[in-house]
Amino acid sequence: MDIALLGNPNTGKTSLFNNLTGSYEYVGNWSGVTVEKKIGVLKNNKAKLIDLPGVYSLNPLSSDEGVVTRFLLANEFDKLLNIIDASQLERNLHLTLQLIEFGKPLNIALNMIDVAEKRGIHIDVDKLSACLGVPVTPIIARSGKGCDHLAQLATEKEEAPENPYLVDYGEEIDKSVRELEGMLGGQGQHSVRWLAIQLLEGNRYVKKYLLDYVSEDKLDSFIEKTKNAVLSAHSEFKSLEQFIYKKRQAAIAGIVGEAVVKKEDKGIPLTDRIDRVVTNKWLGIPIFLLFMYLMFMLTFDWLGFPLSDWLDAFISGPVSSGLEKALLLLGAGEFIRALVLDGIVAGVGGVLVFVPQIFILFFFISLLEDSGYMARVAMVMDRLMEGVGLNGKAFIPMVIGFGCNVPGIMAARTIETPRERLLTILLTPLMSCSARLPVYALFVGAFFLHHKALIVLSIYVLGIVIALLLAKLFSNTLLKGETSLFVIELPPYRVPQLKSLAKSTWEKGKGFIKKAGTFIFAGSVIIWLLGYFGPGGIDVPMNESYLAMIGGIFAPLLEPLGFGNWQSGAALLTGILAKEAVISTMNIIYFVPDEASLQGLLAGAFSPLAAYSFMVFILLYIPCLATVATIKKETSSYKWTLFACGYAIVIAYLLSFLIYQGGKLLGLG
Amino acid sequence: MKMLGKLKTGEKAVIKDISNVNYLVRRRLLDLGITEGTEICLKCKMPFGGPYMLECGGRCVGIRRCDANDIKVERK
Repeated sequence: MDIALLGNPNTGKTSLFNNLTGSYEYVGNWSGVTVEKKIGVLKNNKAKLIDLPGVYSLNPLSSDEGVVTRFLLANEFDKLLNIIDASQLERNLHLTLQLIEFGKPLNIALNMIDVAEKRGIHIDVDKLSACLGVPVTPIIARSGKGCDHLAQLATEKEEAPENPYLVDYGEEIDKSVRELEGMLGGQGQHSVRWLAIQLLEGNRYVKKYLLDYVSEDKLDSFIEKTKNAVLSAHSEFKSLEQFIYKKRQAAIAGIVGEAVVKKEDKGIPLTDRIDRVVTNKWLGIPIFLLFMYLMFMLTFDWLGFPLSDWLDAFISGPVSSGLEKALLLLGAGEFIRALVLDGIVAGVGGVLVFVPQIFILFFFISLLEDSGYMARVAMVMDRLMEGVGLNGKAFIPMVIGFGCNVPGIMAARTIETPRERLLTILLTPLMSCSARLPVYALFVGAFFLHHKALIVLSIYVLGIVIALLLAKLFSNTLLKGETSLFVIELPPYRVPQLKSLAKSTWEKGKGFIKKAGTFIFAGSVIIWLLGYFGPGGIDVPMNESYLAMIGGIFAPLLEPLGFGNWQSGAALLTGILAKEAVISTMNIIYFVPDEASLQGLLAGAFSPLAAYSFMVFILLYIPCLATVATIKKETSSYKWTLFACGYAIVIAYLLSFLIYQGGKLLGLG
Repeated sequence: MKMLGKLKTGEKAVIKDISNVNYLVRRRLLDLGITEGTEICLKCKMPFGGPYMLECGGRCVGIRRCDANDIKVERK
C-alpha cells in the first residue's frame, strides 16, 4: 500500500514522516525542506509513505510545489494522508478541500493540537471529521503523540471521502464541469470536477494533463466562456481564481463554525518576544553575524580544533602503528605496506581527522533550520539581496551551501521566479562547503596559528561578498528582466529537540564519512600509485613520478598566484573530484604520517601570503563533481553548467592573482 | 482608506484592496490567508527600506515595502 503525505509548509510534515516511518528524514523549520519526494516504510511494515513537498494549494507557484501536482496526476498510490496545523485550521483547509475533491481515500492528521489549545483554539475532532466526511486523528508530531493510532488507522480503512462535493461553486461552474465531462468523453482517470476546478483556477500542470485529450484552443475557449459566465453573474469578483477561493473560504467558514470553539487569546507568545529581539530593526543583522562568529569560533578554535588534533594523534599514532604491526604479522610485502600506510591511511585518515569540525558546523546549520531562525535570516537579509537583484529567500540555499553545495542548490527550488532561482543556483557554489573546511583548517594551523577562526571567517565572508557582487553583475547583464519577488512565512520558534538535532547533524555529516570510505579511499590509492610509479619504473622519488609530471603541467600557470609547484597542481586537480581530496593528495605527496608534520612541511613550501592565496583559490576555483552534476540536473542546461564552472575559475584566478601580487607589492610576501 | 505601508508599527488594519500588487505576490499572500477582508497587524519595519513583518491569525509573514505600499487598508 502506498500512502502519500501532503500538507502546508511548516505544519510538521517531515516530523510526522520521521515518527511514522522510524527512519530519519531531514527536518527543517522553513518552507522547502522536502524539495524532492522521499519514501519511507511505516513502522508496522504495512505501507510505504511518500513525503511530498509542502504546498498551500494544488495550483503551484514554484517548481518544488509542482512536484505535488505532478505526483497526483501521474503516480499510482492508494491513499492520501493530509497533515493540518490545528492552530491555522482555516488556511490549511484550502488544501484539504482540494484533496477531498480529488476523490481518493484520505486521512487527516490534525497536528499541533497543543499549540492550538495554547492559543485558545479548541477543535472538536469528531465534528470536524463529520463535516469533512473523512477520518481525523489528533496528533502532536514533534513528541509522537497519537502517531501510532494514526498509522493504524491509515493502513486499515480505505474509503473515499463521503462527499467530494463539500464546496458549492455555483451553477455556472457545475455547468462547465458537465461540459468538460463531455469534452473528455470518459478519457483520463481523475475526477472531472477536480480537473475542471483546477483548470479554471489556472493550474498549468492540470492544463498540460488535459492537453493529451483536448486541444489547446478548445480548452482556452472553455476557460474563457466559463470565466465570462461566472463574472457576469457575480460582478463583485475580478477573476475566476478569486471566485473559487471565496467559495472555498465560505465552505471553510461553515466547517470551522461547526467544529471550532475559540476562547480568549492569552498573553504574548514566546515567539513574539524572541522576534522583538532577533528581527529587531537594528539588531537583526548584528545578531546574525554574532551567531555566525560563534559558530566559527567553536568550529575552528574553541572546540573543533582540539578535537581534530586529538583525532589526528590517534590516527597517526595507535591506528597507524597497529596497522603496521598487523600487516607485518600477516606477512604483507613492502609494496602493500607502503600502499596501506602511506597511501590509504595518509589519504583517508587525513580527511577523517576533520570529522569533529565538520560535525560542529553541521550541528549549527541544523540548529538554524530547526529553530525557525532561518526564515528570519531571509527576512533580515532581503534588503541587501534586493539590492543585488535577488531576494531574501536566496540566502537560505546559500547558508545550506555552507554545509554542502548539493542540497543548497536543490533548496533553490523554493524560489518562485525562474531568474532568481537560476542566479541562486549559479552562485551557491561560492559558499564555502564543509569539504573545503579541512583545507582551511590545515593551512590556518600551519600559517595563522593566532587568528585561526578570523582567517577562516574572512574566507567565508569573501565567498559571500563575491557571490553578492556577481549577483549584481549577472542580474544587470546576463539575467536581466523579470521582477523580483519576496513573500515569506515566518514559522513560530520551536525549541529544538536534542534528539532531532543529533539525527539531523548525523544525516548531514554521514555523507562526509561515507565519501571518505569510498571516493577518497579509491582516490588515495590512485594518487599513491601515480606517485609510486614514474617513467623510471617503480618506487621512484616522488619528484620523478607520474604524479609530479601531471601536476607539473599546471605549475607554471599557478606561479603568479604564489603556489607554482607541482604538488599544488596535483592537489587542485584531484580537488575537482571532491574538495577534501586536496588534503588526501597533499598528505600522500608530502609523505607524512600526520597533520602536524604536514603543516611543518607546508611552512617550507608556502609563504603565509601564498597560503592565503591558495585558500582563496580553493574557495572559488570550481564546483566539485557532485555539485556540477546537480547544477546540470537543476538547470537542465549544459550552457549554464559550463558557465558555472567557467566563471568560477576566472574569478578564482583573478582574485588569487590580485591577493598574491598585491600582497607582495605591499610587502606582505 | 490608506496604504498598508503607511501604518505605524503595532497598528491593526483590515485589507480593502490588494489588486494592484504583482500577481505572484498576491497568489502567495492568498496562500497564506491574506486577502481582501483579512485583519492584519504591522509588527515591524526593517531598516533601510527593508521588508515589513505582518501578523495575521497568529502567523507572521514578511513582505516587501513596495508591495505593502500597493495594499489598501482601513485602520481598525
